[in-house]
Formats: sequence, structure tokens, C-alpha cells
Amino acid sequence: MLLSAKQDWLGNIRGDILAGIVVALALVPEAIAFSIIAGVDPKVGLYASFAIAVMIAIVGGRAGMISAATAATALLMVTLVKDHGLQYLLAATVLAGVLQIVAGYLNLHKFMSFISKSVMTGFLNALAILIFMAQLPELTGVTWHVYALTALGLGIIYLFPYVPKLGQLLPSPLVNIVVITLIVYFMGIDVRTIGDMGELPDTLPIFLWPDVPLNFETLQIIFPYSISIAIVGLLESLMTANVIDELTDTESDKKRECKGQGIANIGSGLIGGMAGCAMIGQSIINVKSGGRGRLSTMVAGTFLLILVVFLSDILSIVPMAALVAVMIMVSIGTFDWGSIKSLKTNPTSASTVMVATVIVVVWTHNLAFGVFTGILIGSLFMAQRLSQFMYVDSDYNEDTDTRTYTIIGQVFFNSSDKFIAFFDFKEAVDKIVIDVHRAHFWDITAVAALDKVVIKLRREGADVSIIGLNDASETLLDKFAVHDKPEEIEKIMGGH
Amino acid sequence: MSSTKKCVLACIDGSELGNAVSGYAIWLSQNSQSPIKFLHTIEHSHRTEHAHHEGTITPNMKEHLLDELSDEERSESKQLIAQGKDILNKARQMAEQAGLSEIIAKQRHGTLPDALSDLESEIVMVVLGSKGEDHDGHKKGLGSQLEEAIRAIHTPVFIVKDEKLSEPKKLMFAYNGSPTSKIALEFIKQGTFCTASLEVHLVCVHKNLVDAEKLVVEGQRVLAEGDINTKTKALEGEAAEELIRYQQDNDIDTIAMGAFSHGKVHGLFFGSFTTQMLLESSANFLLIR
Repeated sequence: MLLSAKQDWLGNIRGDILAGIVVALALVPEAIAFSIIAGVDPKVGLYASFAIAVMIAIVGGRAGMISAATAATALLMVTLVKDHGLQYLLAATVLAGVLQIVAGYLNLHKFMSFISKSVMTGFLNALAILIFMAQLPELTGVTWHVYALTALGLGIIYLFPYVPKLGQLLPSPLVNIVVITLIVYFMGIDVRTIGDMGELPDTLPIFLWPDVPLNFETLQIIFPYSISIAIVGLLESLMTANVIDELTDTESDKKRECKGQGIANIGSGLIGGMAGCAMIGQSIINVKSGGRGRLSTMVAGTFLLILVVFLSDILSIVPMAALVAVMIMVSIGTFDWGSIKSLKTNPTSASTVMVATVIVVVWTHNLAFGVFTGILIGSLFMAQRLSQFMYVDSDYNEDTDTRTYTIIGQVFFNSSDKFIAFFDFKEAVDKIVIDVHRAHFWDITAVAALDKVVIKLRREGADVSIIGLNDASETLLDKFAVHDKPEEIEKIMGGH
Repeated sequence: MSSTKKCVLACIDGSELGNAVSGYAIWLSQNSQSPIKFLHTIEHSHRTEHAHHEGTITPNMKEHLLDELSDEERSESKQLIAQGKDILNKARQMAEQAGLSEIIAKQRHGTLPDALSDLESEIVMVVLGSKGEDHDGHKKGLGSQLEEAIRAIHTPVFIVKDEKLSEPKKLMFAYNGSPTSKIALEFIKQGTFCTASLEVHLVCVHKNLVDAEKLVVEGQRVLAEGDINTKTKALEGEAAEELIRYQQDNDIDTIAMGAFSHGKVHGLFFGSFTTQMLLESSANFLLIR
């Protein structure tokens, strides 16, 4: 552990420091933009990004991942800030952190396996749409200058990387900010600047307990927000950890990440910052810029604070148009454009799940609701498919006047009606044998369906016997551990 | 694994000690009549050749980056695998010349400690060089993964410190009565490592001689149950110092001891006795956990 800790911190010093600086430069406009989304002063997002990045570098479970103030969590805070103010947001942030630590101890990260690729794509697309929508207030009811500056900014962002040499050296979003600011400053154009949006940090953050009454009423106010923030924060963090795992071909400690996110949020709330989580885009930028270790995250957080504290005067004259250009880039980059094309080629179920996730998120502004919807619809589709894995074979023996039904496959709540429909209750026979040794009764609905069939057949005057019920109902027991062994799975799926 | 027989695992890389490691592993394999397995690990640097600092979030950024990174690592891996194959082939030839028939040569991705903990169930003993190829040329010092590798498993580890290959003749067993040293005592008694010609020196060091002698009696009683050629010595003083002096005075070529009985955190603050011994003595080591 100590060796890997050393490797995590000092294994890639030069790459980590350079990448950390690139990320810090990219984090500043994002942190300001997300503060504006949440409706708080830019300093709240900037302090949060500092606190979260620095702390997650130490306590996180994924080296090289960047966490800071994010759009996903900022979107959840809007009404809390509007109705109750900043202090309640800080309290909600601390509580969200506590909930995340609890989630870590409860191993809730294991539920990530329920999130399918379609849900994840829906999550990202919805996030992109919400980030874009959040920029609209800056683009409505403004002079043509703002549109021109935003367009110019986007041009710089996308074209500057093609400039030989320099393009790979300087982050183009930063070049956009510098150029647009210079144009506005020297030409004296009257447009909104970051300074107009609220206070910027001019000192180092200080420790502050949120100024809220510690009573049940407060808890009632903040709890719904905290739980949403905790869930969305963990969702995006664990998704991002998976992305970075894949990119770097290394493993991360998801449980530690959950607890780490919690600690980082508590820390953020206590120095006047808002809640955040891992950032998919920035984390990929970090890896792309050569960052691999914990040092990169630490440098990003520290450098960000140095930047904003010393440059707050300059930052305050940066036009909002430059910031909007950066956020449009983030939105375009986050959206999975390929997913629109594959809407036609993917199975309808996958596309439905993706689109449903997007719609619910955009409607509720809460990524958690979208994800739950996606999981739910996805599970229904899965149940529908599984129910097709059942059929009944029937055979009549004239000598003994016996009808034998052989049931093969999966009988559960969704296939039990289909199961009943296989039987011919109008046929008058002496004896009926129901052979279920190759069937699996997954739940009590399935057992009830079998009972119903037997009773109905008896009413018609037949002698009914069932073969192999023990084998069939083995699946009914919730002893999943038994089925972990290949031979047990073979017994169930192979059906004999 | 198809064969249930546990093997002697020789961890080799391109370092100067590689030859000696193979040699000792062959000797151990003959002694213990276990198959021999040569292991070469392929460690990825996970470092990109060129980094992009443009800092933009572009569509499909993840997919592009994934393609780029996997291409880079693929060529790095291919090169490392080829190098490893050469090293393994040489070791295999050496084992064939020594007359061994059950020889396995394996490559694994990842670090040595990870590989060891994955393979633990099929190993009877591990042979390691005290430093890897990254440390060639450094006279003193230990490999950066050595402690982690030893801690990764609970099978005995034979650590080769000298490039010169010579059959172990005199083994000093440092016994202090601790739980790990008791495990070590049992292992020595079994005689997996000890040939009939091997002279075992049971050495106990304590702050006062009476206690040291008590330990000697205790150790000797256990060793007497096995068929071991034992000499004993009780010494008074500071353990590492006395043990190393005894080793030098008596031309001991191998030091056996229980290893890393304390946790890593303890080692961080107080220093580890095992590490101290490994650093200060030039003999080969048989560490038992």
C-alpha cells in the first residue's frame, strides 16, 4: 500500500504538474459558471473546487481523477439557494458529504452495475443539454456584441489548437478568455463581466461553520437537497472513475472514492464552498494532458486557488461572453453525438432507455431521477425479454389417456400469464402430468400460477401430478450465493 | 491449474542478479522435487509519450484518447513481452541443462507484488533478486518492490543478494521466539530447504544471555524433531549487530528468519528489522512469514 501510495503521488511528477496546471486553468471558468448556475457568488464555486480537488487528491479512490464544483450538483441547489440562502446550501453540502460517507460504508457503489450503457449515455446527454440551457440567460436580452464575442470565443477555442506549436502548448479556452477580455477592455465595449455576477475570492478561504439553526426544521429543509446531491455526486464520480479506469487501464477503489467524495464535500461546506463531485470532462483532459497521479489533482486545486486569489481583479473584468463560450464547448464536448446516429441502429429498448433518461433529467433538472427512470425502464425491458425464455411442450398418450405438459424455462411474475395460457383446460383427459424439472420458478407469482393451473385442471376432473417440483423451486430461495458456482448455474440454466 | 503440485517460483528480469536467481531456483527445485516456474512480469509505465495541453473538451474525446493510449501501450507491451521471452528462454535452457523436466515459463502483466499474490496458491517458495533491473549499477540498496513483494505472500521467499552462484552450505537461523519466527522454525524443521549437507546455525540474540540461552533451548528442541544438522549459539546484545558479526565470523552464506512481523505503519516509524538486515548483510536470505 505504501509503495502504491508513493507511486500514486510521485510516479509521474512532471506529467502531473503540467496536467494539473492545464486542468486548473480550465477549472476556473467552469467553477465560476457553476456558481452562477447555483445562484451563488463565484467565490463559492471557486473555494469549493479548491477544497474538493485538494482533499480528493488525498482521500479519493481514483488517482488522476479531477473533482471540483460541478454542473450536475449545482443544478440541484438552485431552489435551495433561492428560497433559503447560501448558509443552508453550506449545511446541505456538509450533510451530503456525511450521506456519501455512509453510502461508502454501506458499499452502495456496488449498485453501479445496474447502470447500463444507455443510462450512462442518457446521463451525459442530459448533462450537456442542461449546461447549455444554463447559458441561455446570458444570451437573451443582450446586445449583438455578446453574440459576436461568444462566436469569436468559440472560434478561438476550436481553431487555436490547430496553430502550429503554440496550439499544443496553451490551452485554447484560456486563450479565448485572454483575447476576449483584451478586446472588451481596450475597445471599451459595455458587456456583462464576471465581476457583475458576485464576489470573487480575494483571500484564502477560512473555516466557517454554516450559520443555520441546528434543529429539525433545518434538517427538513436541507435533507431532500442533500440526498439528491449525494446520489448525483456519487453517480457522476463513479462513472468518471470507470472512464478513467478504462483510459489508463488501471483499477480504482470505488468504496474509498465514495467516502472520499463525502469527506471532500464536508470540507468544502466548512470553508464556504458548494458541493461537487468528479468531473468527466476535466478528468479526461487531465489524462490527455499527461496527468496520472494524485499529484495532478492536488496541483489543479492548489494552482486554482493561487490563480484566483492573486488574479481576482483581472478575473472580475473577464466578460461573461468568454465564459459562455467555454461552457458551450463543455456542453458540446459532453454530449454523445454518436448516440443520435445510433438511435436508429441500437435496439429500441436501448434507445428508449436513453431518451427517457434525458427527458426526465431535462424535465426535473435532477440527474438522479433520470438515472432511476433509466434503470427502471431498462429492468422492465429485461424482464420482458427473460419471459420469452419459456415454453411448454405437451404430449398425449392414448393408452393411458394421459396428457403430459413439460415446462422448460423461466417462470416469474412477467411470464406467469403466458405460462397459464399454455394449458388446454377444455380437453377432457383422465390423467395430467406436469413435468417442471426443467423449469425455474423465480418468485411466488410463478408458484401461484402453478397452483392455479393445478386447481383448474382438477376441477375438470383430471388426476394431476407434478414431477420435479424440488428442482424447479430451487430458484425460489434467495440463496444467490449457492448459484455462484458454475455447476449450480449450469443446473439452473441448463435445466436438468 | 491442472497439476496440483506447487512449484518453486523464480522471479526474473533482465537484471544482473537474474542468472543467480534462476540458479538458486533450479537448486531449490531439485532439492524440494517441485516443478520450477519462471515468472517475468511486464510492468506498464502508464506514461504517455506525448501529452496534449490544449485543454478543450471535444466530442468523442474519450474514444479518441482511448484509441491513442491503447495503441501506445500496445507497442510498449509487445516490446516488453519480446524482451521477457528472451529472458525466460535463457532461464529455461539453464533449467534444462540442469536436468529438470517440469519447467514452466510464464509472463504476467502488472507489478511483481500483484503477480505474486495472484499466484500464491500454486507456489511453494519464491526466489527473488534483492533488486531489479531498474537498480543495476547501484552497489547498495534494495529493489523498490522488494518489501511489497515479500509482504504480498505468505510462502517462504529466498532472496538472492549476490550475483555469484554457490550452493548454500551454512545457514544461520535467527530465532527470537516471536510468532513469525516460530513459523520459520517449523519451516526449517520440515527440511524443504535444508539438504543433509547444510549446516544450520541456530542463533538467538537477547539483551541478556540467560534469555538468549532459553531461546536456544526452545529452538533446539523443535529442530531436534527434524533431521537437521544443527549448531547453536546464544548471544547478548543488539540483534542486527550481533547477527551480522556472527554471520561474517562463521562464513554464513544464508540467513533465515521470520520476516515483517509488524505492519507497514510500524515499519514506517520504527524501521523494520528485516529491512535493516537485508540492507546490512551481504548473505542471501530465506525469509519466512
